[in-house]
Amino acid sequence: MEREIIISPIGGIPSSVTVPVRKAVAQNFGLPARIVPLLQHIDFAYSPHRQQHHSTPILDKLAALLPHPGCRILAITERDLYIPILTHVYGEAQLKGTAAIISLYRLSDSNPPSLVQESGLTTQRSLKEALHELGHTLGLKHCPDSSCLMHYCRKMSDVDHKTDRFCRYCRVWLQDALEEDRLSLG
Amino acid sequence: MNPDTRILVIDDEPILRESLQAWLERDNYTVEAVGSGKEGLERISQIPFDLVFLDLKLEDINGIQVLSRIKEEDPDTAVVMITAYGSVPSAVEAMKEGAEDYLLKPFEPEELSVLIEKIISHKARERENIYLRQEKQERSRFESLLGQSEVMQEIFNFIEDIAPTDSTVLIAGETGTGKELAAKAIHATSHRCEGPFVAVNCGSLPEQLMESELFGYEQGAFTDAKQSKKGRLELANSGTLFLDEVGEIGPRMQIDLLRVLEEHSFTRLGGTRPIKTDFRVIAASNRDLARTVREGGFREDLYYRLNVIPLEMPPLRKRKEDIPLLAEHFLSRFRQETNKEIEHISRQALDLMMLYDWPGNVRELENAIERAVVVGKSKNIQPEDLPISREAEMLGQGSLQEMEKAHILHVLKQNDWNISRSAKVLGIDRSTLYKKLQRYNLRQKA
Ligand SMILES: [Zn+2]
Ligand SMILES: [Zn+2]
Repeated sequence: MEREIIISPIGGIPSSVTVPVRKAVAQNFGLPARIVPLLQHIDFAYSPHRQQHHSTPILDKLAALLPHPGCRILAITERDLYIPILTHVYGEAQLKGTAAIISLYRLSDSNPPSLVQESGLTTQRSLKEALHELGHTLGLKHCPDSSCLMHYCRKMSDVDHKTDRFCRYCRVWLQDALEEDRLSLG
Repeated sequence: MNPDTRILVIDDEPILRESLQAWLERDNYTVEAVGSGKEGLERISQIPFDLVFLDLKLEDINGIQVLSRIKEEDPDTAVVMITAYGSVPSAVEAMKEGAEDYLLKPFEPEELSVLIEKIISHKARERENIYLRQEKQERSRFESLLGQSEVMQEIFNFIEDIAPTDSTVLIAGETGTGKELAAKAIHATSHRCEGPFVAVNCGSLPEQLMESELFGYEQGAFTDAKQSKKGRLELANSGTLFLDEVGEIGPRMQIDLLRVLEEHSFTRLGGTRPIKTDFRVIAASNRDLARTVREGGFREDLYYRLNVIPLEMPPLRKRKEDIPLLAEHFLSRFRQETNKEIEHISRQALDLMMLYDWPGNVRELENAIERAVVVGKSKNIQPEDLPISREAEMLGQGSLQEMEKAHILHVLKQNDWNISRSAKVLGIDRSTLYKKLQRYNLRQKA
């Protein structure tokens, strides 16, 4: 079974974000990555009460849209995301699942996020969060090493502090997970 | 962040419950979630939790009542109340009742993780203290392996055969079967006998502390590192490193340890200089490590590195003919320690001991004799001096499981259901006792 990762921008996400994210994803996971918009909008996940989008139902929807079982999806939105227990999230992923999403809303340098051109800093942050959330889909959990991609970032300065690399432990687990994934898909 | 940290979420709103559970799982905690106070209390009576997130407003039982029941069950369980705007005064009330803290929903992500870290690191420090105390006790207790049974004779021969090989040994066996003694015997008969025997109990320290314990650290590696310190890997140089309860080792440490075993060198925390080491590794586990590997809790590559020579220590019930010898040995030791004039073990007491199945093995026997010497009033130890239950005796014909269950129940009743005390009497650790309670579905009648 062919394995791949689909980068799925929702609405107008500038290519200054999607293209570098695609490249970094392909590099870090050693899998082909394509940019395919799978979802036109996420209105179904909007909470008028919180005036934010609930990320969990978006993940369920994305997982249902999976073109074939060998792929994983990373969606990118410019809307602000939340999960019921938290005021906001930068992204969410199904742990050991197929779908992940990141939001540029808080990662972006400009507010609201630009639909045309984002700064290098925004790209850098999106890339880290994209790899982080995709790491979750492979079963990786949060890492105490504050420079590791799998470190859980409470605030933006934490995101900026961490590198764009997995630490040596997470690298081993990533390899284990990719290998297990390869075997299970036959 | 440690999968050994168990968290329970009690909230009647499914969406909040699931959202919190999923979030905490990504943080590598073991999380369970239930929808009512009743279910929550039931779960807590079955298994210990480090931390409970408890909704203040539950449909069935008032959150404060649930809180006080949790604290009654296990005062060590930390409780954080979840509350909505408008209920803060009751949350403050809950803190007076013993809750550690409260959180307003929805939480700021920062608030949540800081709070959990604070609570968990506090517990980790407590565990470290217990570990250091235990270690002191155990150091003073070096005994020779005793046994004339055929199975023990075979083990002695096997130890003699493998001792000079320098290969890694993996010792399996239930708690109290003398795995550490076997490791010491291998060390003492090997060409490394002049070198140190360094034991590490992998199950008793949180992962980060274990890391500095094993690898040592350079000055300034972390805030408390005022000066550099050698780790056990370094201390074991030219000797034997004994890794007890190796199955409990955390996932990061498994990766580190594998590297040390492959490369025979490591670096101290905060250091860059590789340090060469030369030691033999003997590991021990009371779990079925092969099964833990299949279940994903232990790395397969590390397992094969450790399991070069497997050695299995038999449970005491499989070598009952050794009981009189062991009992006499312990009697003479405790007689000296207490200066009590107890001469023998009565025929009846010995019969009872031979009938009993000793789930805590040699260590339980040792504890039983110690108790008998302390409470005994006659010249000979009598059956009633032994903490072995009549119920177990009556069940003598029943299955091992039945006897064990009856005995555990008996000990719990004798100790007012105090888990720590009962575990000590049984010669097993607290978590093992909890697992058994779960397996036999034993709980205190309200
Ligand atoms: Zn994460
Ligand atoms: Zn990491």
